Amino acid sequence: MEDNNEVNEVDLTDSKMVVPLNTWVLISNFKLSYNLLRRPDGTFNRHLAEFLDRKVAPNANPVDGVLSFDVIIDKGTSLLTRIYQPASADAPQLNILDFHKPVGVEVLPVIIFFHGGSFAHSSANSGIYDILCRRLVGNCKAVVVSVNYRRAPENRFPCAYDDGWTTLKWVNSRSWLKSTKDSKVHIYLAGDSSGGNIVHNVALRAAESGIEVLGNILLNPMFGGLERTESEERLDGKYFVTIQDRDWYWRAFLPEGEDRDHPACNPFGPRGISLKDVKFPKSLVVVAGLDLVQDWQLAYAKGLEKAGQDVKLLFLDKATIGFYLLPNNDHFYTVMNEISSFVRSDC
Amino acid sequence: MEPYGNSGGVSSSASSSSSSSITKPHEIDGYLAEAGYKVRSSDLRHVAQRLERLENVMVNSPNDLAHFASDAVIYNPSDLASWVDSLLSASDLSISDLDFPGVIINNHPTADTWTEIPPISAAASAPPQNHHQVTAVMEEDSGIRLVQLLVTCAESVQRGDLALAGSIIETMQALLTRVNTGCGIGKVAGYFIDALSRRVFTPQSVGSDGGSAHENELLYHYFYEACPYLKFAHFTANQAILEAFHGHDCVHVIDFNLMHGLQWPALIQALALRPGGPPLLRLTGIGPPSPDGRDSLREIGLRLAELARSVNVRFAFRGVAASRLEDVKPWMLQVSPKEAVAVNSIMQLHRLLGSDSNRNSPIEMMLGWIRNLNPKIVTVVEQEADHNKAGFLERFTEALYYYSNMFDSLEACGAMQPDKTLAEMYIQREICNVVCCEGLARVERHEPLSKWRTRLELAGFSPLHLGSNAFKQASMLLTLFSAEGYRVEEKEGCLTLGWHSRPLIAASAWQVMPLPEATATATNPLGIVNHSANHV
Repeated sequence: MEDNNEVNEVDLTDSKMVVPLNTWVLISNFKLSYNLLRRPDGTFNRHLAEFLDRKVAPNANPVDGVLSFDVIIDKGTSLLTRIYQPASADAPQLNILDFHKPVGVEVLPVIIFFHGGSFAHSSANSGIYDILCRRLVGNCKAVVVSVNYRRAPENRFPCAYDDGWTTLKWVNSRSWLKSTKDSKVHIYLAGDSSGGNIVHNVALRAAESGIEVLGNILLNPMFGGLERTESEERLDGKYFVTIQDRDWYWRAFLPEGEDRDHPACNPFGPRGISLKDVKFPKSLVVVAGLDLVQDWQLAYAKGLEKAGQDVKLLFLDKATIGFYLLPNNDHFYTVMNEISSFVRSDC
Repeated sequence: MEPYGNSGGVSSSASSSSSSSITKPHEIDGYLAEAGYKVRSSDLRHVAQRLERLENVMVNSPNDLAHFASDAVIYNPSDLASWVDSLLSASDLSISDLDFPGVIINNHPTADTWTEIPPISAAASAPPQNHHQVTAVMEEDSGIRLVQLLVTCAESVQRGDLALAGSIIETMQALLTRVNTGCGIGKVAGYFIDALSRRVFTPQSVGSDGGSAHENELLYHYFYEACPYLKFAHFTANQAILEAFHGHDCVHVIDFNLMHGLQWPALIQALALRPGGPPLLRLTGIGPPSPDGRDSLREIGLRLAELARSVNVRFAFRGVAASRLEDVKPWMLQVSPKEAVAVNSIMQLHRLLGSDSNRNSPIEMMLGWIRNLNPKIVTVVEQEADHNKAGFLERFTEALYYYSNMFDSLEACGAMQPDKTLAEMYIQREICNVVCCEGLARVERHEPLSKWRTRLELAGFSPLHLGSNAFKQASMLLTLFSAEGYRVEEKEGCLTLGWHSRPLIAASAWQVMPLPEATATATNPLGIVNHSANHV
């Protein structure tokens, strides 16, 4: 019980201890903006969100060895993807014809990327994600296809998964993305936060339908459950994220009336499905040690393991959410190297 | 314990941190710039402190937050320092209220001991020159073939091989019969093949105005109705003008292209409703001379005057007939020193870019005299495209992408026939001008916002940022009369409307930068308002 004269204090000391100043400013700014956008009644101030989001245009001229262009792959749902390709600066300027030319590499990893934002925020053309995708291309010598999936609360489960699935089918059928070695598209799924969650669910669909996904990369994936875990209670509010905001986003994404044990949120929970004997891709799960949902993420990795699936867990002790947004810390480089090895294991 | 730990392992004490930094403090933090935020390294601590204080405001007054989010007007969110400052001043708690005695916030060691990773230098964060934006719909094979042929044809034209260009055109015309010309690449290809055909086979027929002024006005009307671009231009400009006119009793709007005056009823009504009552509104509408003795400018002025009368706004109209914008001289506008002036240019300024590198280029002259009018605001809307490149092939492919998106967006709005075809004809005239014309005949010399920014700044204007209220209004109005796929974006204080991720039209507002003392003059070269019977 607080004294009437006392004002609640927020102690931000913890988060300031572990991240560089510019990272702290970036993530705190997001936290602030996001607080302004979520309404208690579950609605979302989309206009303000779009106004505040810093977007960047694609650039078909190579910058630091990467070019990008946008493609609308489904007119019905207005589904847009941004495609990033490695390119040398002295290559002749690309025109629309060249986008159909085979990239023509013996083994070309194609990473379908799902940006984060807790299902409600950001877009494929958000600045933070555009730059992350460019770094992925540079690091992995891969093509990256970033999906501009439909977001909550306007578009609940399973819209984001549907968009991921549409993209997977589209990528799989592009002859210009095939690796020349076996005339197939070598597909990996990657995503951070809600994007990580989408990776799992799209991979599930792929397994059921027989489209081969070579690997899943889940960066601080968004999972949860009804139960309150130890990490949630210990880290609530300490490193940019609160249990309250996590709950809000699940309520915005899951079908109305559902709870957090819905399998989309809690894939290995009481309503989860078994992955035993399912031909599921190998997984790289990256968990930040200061992310309050780490118990759910660790449970996910464990669930995959118990089902006999190939999973590598990378636990980064002192990392917070968003550590991969700026290349100013060791964890960033560790993860980039891991991802690179993961997708280039058969190159 | 030191705040802002360096999980990267680089540590330095405060005294040496500035010398070991790669970036000088006044430079922009490179990593944040890549993410879309402009903060000087030296301002990072200040911004962090403000963010911390805002955190406390939020925890203690969550209701203020809700009100704030819906009511406050935010400008240029890329500028983090001013964004957090404006948030703090907008919140109910003043900054001094937060300095309670003995409170935890200031209990840890302050500024001097914070360590940081040296940010990358600002040079890396400069936007790349030569930006080439492509947003496309992947087409089926015959569509791809058409594009291949179009580009090859344009290449031949650039090389001067008109014989080859001609035979490619014939091939394309044949291919068109096998492609769906109702939408997508088939539709836009048809128009480009037509334009190339004119350039190659009947060059004598181009170079004319592309139709009479009357026809143009008619097509303009259909384009206005069929898609949201002009509506967006009008209401965004009006919002900015309304705000600029705040507190002024005598206001004068100069419209560089009156057309049917479609922009003005909304402004007249908004002024009628403003708290404190409407000002005296003068509108000067510029347009081409009417054929056969009609005075179409005056007719429109009369209609607007009637509307103004019906809502009790004192109104005066003046029409200025000129075949070219550069023929308009400031004295024709009869601006009074007592008025707040708004200069409104919707897709007109680019027409003045057609000349060689002449000192007295029309655009520079025009911007010069606009500045001398001392306007309160200049609203500029332009096509967000780079159609003024010297090389034909580059221009052609840019236009192909731009108009593909434009046609796709038009398709999505679902206008009925024949309205849709007539709207398309409006666009077709632009395409023809870009593709077929050269020299002075080519008036559709669209340039992107980044170039206009530079040009306007050199001419002595500084940006007036369009804020979140204009953005929200634009977004909301879009949901009313357009379709899924349109996007409004904010870019450094300007607003763009586009199709998916491709901006197609950009709206910006400008004010005059104060002249340095030495060159300021007191003379008003324009004379006083003429209260002759010419006025309606």
